[in-house]
Amino acid sequence: MTYALTTRYPNLVDRDEIIRVLRAFEMAGFEYVLIGAAAMGFHGIVRATEDLDLFIKATPENVEKLRSALRQAYDNDPQVNEISSADLLGEYPAVRYVPPTGDLYFDVLTRLGEVASFDTIDAQIKDVQGTKVRVATPLALYRLKKDTVRVQDHVDAAALKERFDLKDEK
Amino acid sequence: MRVQKFRSIEEMNKASAPESEEPHFERFLRHCARYWAIAPKHYPRGVFKFRSIEEAQRAREKHILLKQ
Repeated sequence: MTYALTTRYPNLVDRDEIIRVLRAFEMAGFEYVLIGAAAMGFHGIVRATEDLDLFIKATPENVEKLRSALRQAYDNDPQVNEISSADLLGEYPAVRYVPPTGDLYFDVLTRLGEVASFDTIDAQIKDVQGTKVRVATPLALYRLKKDTVRVQDHVDAAALKERFDLKDEK
Repeated sequence: MRVQKFRSIEEMNKASAPESEEPHFERFLRHCARYWAIAPKHYPRGVFKFRSIEEAQRAREKHILLKQ
């Protein structure tokens, strides 16, 4: 008996979706710092994720650039218009956008309590397929993750600490 | 990628995984694509607002539990 050695992966549509969105961010001049699993991926710690986590510069103009980029990437999805600077700069510092594709989503943050904001996170510019991406440094990611209650964050923090020989700060 | 040989499981577990020549983010994209193909999830589309990142995480966990 023979078995067909066909698989469904890699799913090029899904891979292209992330690149397409990052490119749209750059073209719109949207100011953000990539954090979370995607940022860890840039630093060589690879694990799967379903979301892109972004700390964004908290200005109405920048939120408009985000909307513009997402409209560009998702065929003018009207739901993008529900992302508002009044929310992000006010009562709702965390907004989740699930695009029509539905299997990848975006967590957009303007602040994390008193701990972090766009202006306080150390970042570096990385390149992916000719697109510039502002990515939180390993130390910045470690600081964001080490004291949360989420189990996955503890695993990530331990991986960052080991790989980059990070020291705990007093 | 080169083949590594070990005389025991213990020796294998101690060895570090060989580093790929592929750029890190490309490897991340490939890994996610494989994961999404094996374990597809579908989230309700739209914009959702949260007062804190913890609230956002709870919403995600609740959705995953409901789907299970």
